[in-house]
Amino acid sequence: MQGVSAPREQAPPVISTSSTILNMREKEKYIEDFDFPFCDESSKYEKVAKIGQGTFGEVFKARARNSSKKFVAMKKVLMDNEKEGFPITALREIKILQLLKHENVVNLIEICRTKATLHNKYRSTFYLVFDFCEHDLAGLLSNVNVKFSLGEIKKVMQQLLNGLYYIHSNKILHRDMKAANVLITKNGILKLADFGLARAFSVAKSGQANKYTNRVVTLWYRPPELLLGDRNYGPPVDMWGAGCIMAEMWTRSPIMQGPTEQQQLILISQLCGSCTPDVWPGVESLDLYNKLELPKGQKRKVKERLKHYVKDPYGCDLLDKLLQLDPAKRFDADTALNHDFFWTDPMPCDLGSMLAQHTQSMFEYLAPPRRPGHLRHHHHAPAQPKPPQDSTYQDRVF
Amino acid sequence: MPYWYYDKKDLQNTPSFRDGINNDTENRYRKEGARFIIDTGSKMDLGYNTVATGVVYFHRFYMFHSFRTFPRYITACCCLFLAGKVEETPKKCKDIIKVAKSLLNEEKFNTFGEDPKEEVMTLERILLQTIKFDLQVEHPYSYLLKYAKCLKGDKTKLQKMVQMAWTFVNDSLCTTLCLQWEPEVIAVALMFLAGKLSKFEVVDWNGRAPKHNAWWDMFVEDITMELLEDICHQVLDLYSIQTQPSGGESPPLPPAPKPPKNEKKPPVTPPISASPAAPAKTPVKNGAEFYPYAPPPVAYTAPPPRLPPPPRLPMGLVYDAPPARFVASVPPPPLVPPPFLRARSPASSPPILSAAVIAIHCSDCVKVFSLCELRVTKPGRSQSFY
Ligand SMILES: Nc1ncnc2c1ncn2[C@@H]1O[C@H](COP(=O)(O)OP(=O)(O)OP(=O)(O)O)[C@@H](O)[C@H]1O
Ligand SMILES: [Mg+2]
Repeated sequence: MQGVSAPREQAPPVISTSSTILNMREKEKYIEDFDFPFCDESSKYEKVAKIGQGTFGEVFKARARNSSKKFVAMKKVLMDNEKEGFPITALREIKILQLLKHENVVNLIEICRTKATLHNKYRSTFYLVFDFCEHDLAGLLSNVNVKFSLGEIKKVMQQLLNGLYYIHSNKILHRDMKAANVLITKNGILKLADFGLARAFSVAKSGQANKYTNRVVTLWYRPPELLLGDRNYGPPVDMWGAGCIMAEMWTRSPIMQGPTEQQQLILISQLCGSCTPDVWPGVESLDLYNKLELPKGQKRKVKERLKHYVKDPYGCDLLDKLLQLDPAKRFDADTALNHDFFWTDPMPCDLGSMLAQHTQSMFEYLAPPRRPGHLRHHHHAPAQPKPPQDSTYQDRVF
Repeated sequence: MPYWYYDKKDLQNTPSFRDGINNDTENRYRKEGARFIIDTGSKMDLGYNTVATGVVYFHRFYMFHSFRTFPRYITACCCLFLAGKVEETPKKCKDIIKVAKSLLNEEKFNTFGEDPKEEVMTLERILLQTIKFDLQVEHPYSYLLKYAKCLKGDKTKLQKMVQMAWTFVNDSLCTTLCLQWEPEVIAVALMFLAGKLSKFEVVDWNGRAPKHNAWWDMFVEDITMELLEDICHQVLDLYSIQTQPSGGESPPLPPAPKPPKNEKKPPVTPPISASPAAPAKTPVKNGAEFYPYAPPPVAYTAPPPRLPPPPRLPMGLVYDAPPARFVASVPPPPLVPPPFLRARSPASSPPILSAAVIAIHCSDCVKVFSLCELRVTKPGRSQSFY
């Protein structure tokens, strides 16, 4: 008898909810006045300039009001069109940034809020607050006045690989490697940034493939396995991006700027050779392998084409190892760090003194568009883009 | 750095207490909120981690706000909503609200306001600020499994002990233990309790060193017997028959969810009021057996717990093999947590009752084991966001 019946209603203790629970007005006042102990108001910083615009919010440079020397970058969490509340992508980014603490990973200081008031319908806006880095690599590379020596390029790559080694050891994939997401402080410390697409990965257990989305990574830096529809990928996707960025240290603009996914694959094949089961066992089982028309009979020309830019043979060799079509053959961060490139003369050298010659911040957002042309086939030195006028960069500043 | 652990004095002097809500009432609100998260989560096939994360957010939230300012059930929904996203098992807000509505009576659902979804959206921001965006929370479950791997002894008994401990961890969510102790400590204590109750004495373990008096010395330093017992008692207190204040807004229990349609009823369903004789075995899909209900303990005067609905097995999901290392040492752990067993009882009886409760009332340890025989079902695989 019991058990199937509805819960026994005892003499219903009817109490009007209004007497026990705050009414709307009281609650609004409560929210407005509540001083959240763990979440400061964003007004403790004073915005100085907008330095970035991304898919999920604007980025501002700001100064701490209590110390005129302390600068931060504030990334706004865009929530306007969110049907499902605080975006899961932002939650991921926060979770991952809280986990990662490393010299070569951007440091999340805190998350700030605007005060909830009637004007914002009692809904705060949130900002991720980071230590400020004076430049991003895309901004630096687009300024011809910034010249990297071989030792400095080695230092950039060494720090970048160190950062990747750290995040991969922590089972995190970045999934958006590109020059604009690599920050560099005025002292020459490199920081991986923008974990907006990052996620945790697990090493697939036998017989159970992961199913990640392959619609990640900015097209120009997207590795062939993603373009072919792989959903069970891992750290090598970031290593491909590292290879693209490394080449860019010499070419000064992205080496493969495909307008479409198909075109991107063609550009990749023209540089790295055709994707065939010979050089890449298993490629034939990727979803799009048979669905896309892939260039056939392309020869691998990585070293041949890059050597005009990258005069250092070790550099060329490392690039060749990072731009491997087969993700299984691509160097991981650890192996790359052990490559002779980093252990031969000239050794990696500090960027601080070179950067000290530049007193304005260089960010992709503030820079003039980079030369659209990509890696050329001919053997001449690439035409230099017109030197950007310094005034287009953010004025003075650290 | 926020520190999420409080001593007992802090737990008495809470915002709700300062707002005129006495400790017993607050604890009941916490228990009801937690239970509601568990019920809503289970009904939505959310995994134990998501549910537990939601409950921890809930307990932390009310260390800063009063139950008078924020009614418990909508906060509970909001916590589960956020936990779903954080644990990569997102559920749509409107679906959570729909389930909540089905579990709550009208009076309680009315506390969700005119536009429940908008309320949850506003509340989510308050929740995030309150918990300092400290999203990643660890739970005792993983530690139970880790510790169990090291213990030596009869594998069947060991597994049963772990399963019982697992149930205690489920129930501990209804206490403020997660505001007092790290998950490691709770795991040790509740495994200790399960060991006592299942009469499984751990005499040897991998990695044993001369300085270890008990197995847990290997995992948590300086844990005293006093502390262990204190933790166990906090969980056991959940099961003690308490008389609830008859006044107040003591709410009737939410209706137990109906068995899902796509699941066949167990072929043999003994009358619920049946004698405490051998419970019926009900085969489930993967061949594991479980006992759908437990006989009422002698001391327990209320009607026996109601048949919990069979778990809804997510269709077409692959069985997650247990980690290889684990298999090598002990039989498969409860991969999916034993289901949160629900008890149906009048408001004057304990609102929470699980397999464990019966265990406590049973002197016969064989029975204890059989009662804790819990289902191993297909795990609710976390949905990829994409
Ligand atoms: N800590 C920082 N210091 C200085 N500049 C920064 C910092 N963080 C971000 N920026 C600048 O803002 C730009 C955009 O930031 P970020 O890449 O994190 O966001 P996003 O591009 O909006 O994200 P997504 O790539 O997911 O759209 C960066 O390229 C960089 O120029
Ligand atoms: Mg970016």
